[in-house]
Amino acid sequence: MIHRGEDVIIRTIARMLIPFIQLYALYVIMHGHYSPGGGFQGGVILGASLVLLLLTYGYHDARSRISEKIMIIFSSLGVLIYAGIGFLCLLLLGNFLDYSMLSRILHVDAAHARSLGILGVEIGVGFAVMAVMVSIFLDISTGGVLPGDEEEKEKQVPVSEV
Amino acid sequence: MEKFFLAVALGICFLVLLVLYRVVFGPGVFNRVAAISAVGTKTLIILLIVGFLYRRVDMFVDISIVYALLNFIGCIAVAKYLEMEQ
Amino acid sequence: METIQNILSGLFLLGGVFFFATATLGLLRFPDFFTRLHATGKGDTLAVTLCLIGLAIHEGMNLTSVKILMIAVFMFLAQPTSTHAISRAGVRCGLEIWRKKEKEG
Repeated sequence: MIHRGEDVIIRTIARMLIPFIQLYALYVIMHGHYSPGGGFQGGVILGASLVLLLLTYGYHDARSRISEKIMIIFSSLGVLIYAGIGFLCLLLLGNFLDYSMLSRILHVDAAHARSLGILGVEIGVGFAVMAVMVSIFLDISTGGVLPGDEEEKEKQVPVSEV
Repeated sequence: MEKFFLAVALGICFLVLLVLYRVVFGPGVFNRVAAISAVGTKTLIILLIVGFLYRRVDMFVDISIVYALLNFIGCIAVAKYLEMEQ
Repeated sequence: METIQNILSGLFLLGGVFFFATATLGLLRFPDFFTRLHATGKGDTLAVTLCLIGLAIHEGMNLTSVKILMIAVFMFLAQPTSTHAISRAGVRCGLEIWRKKEKEG
């Protein structure tokens, strides 16, 4: 599924549409409290847009933007945001994920603090879900061996030969 | 006006049942992929009309945008896979 | 004003359903895969655009009708692209093209 092709039409349309798909995914994450959506659904749409990029451009050309290393960083960042907000509420003498304690730092009343806390948690979930979707796609479609790993193995000098 | 929308939705549902014949009996996988894409397009309109019947259109519009996106990406993914098999 | 909105949206919806019906008829009755792609690729796109314009007119000047028109623009761009992708895959896999049989006699 990740191989080079010379299809100009699909590449042009994908290049035009992907930023708008990502903008719509951000809208879905932000409006989770009012309309259907939230963190997980927005993360899936973000991941789907990156999967479209990988499908139409191939792994060699898209590697500068979507590599395995960047996806690992993003997934860890998402979990860090989620757990970080929870522990921040713990440090402020509340329960774990007790968002009303955030009103001491942010100087707003408790209802606003709860709303902002949920928004931050949803953003973390969105990052993590996007990274995991792209990572699963890369693993399934290449069988575990990315095209760049074979070149790196050839460059390694053998350790010792008896 | 609501009865007119209900009649249109039932008509498109009947057309979906007709297209399912091509999904089941299409010789080969290509006919099935084209028919599934057509079913997805008709489902989009049915979703919006159901939203009108419940008087909550602004909820159903978001869902139908996402369904159009996923229909498009899925069709391209299957086409790439079938091309690579050669 | 509301009566004109209702009549216009009804006309657009009826046109959309007509084109959906002809596209389905083509999908069922055409002899070959590529001809069926013609039917569903073009007919479905036009029908979806007409239906969505009809639904947007029924809503009036609203944020929801702008979103519905955005779906229409997206479908207008994306559905011919997916038809192109699947037909290219069909050509590269070597599906045979239907030719009209010559009548003898």
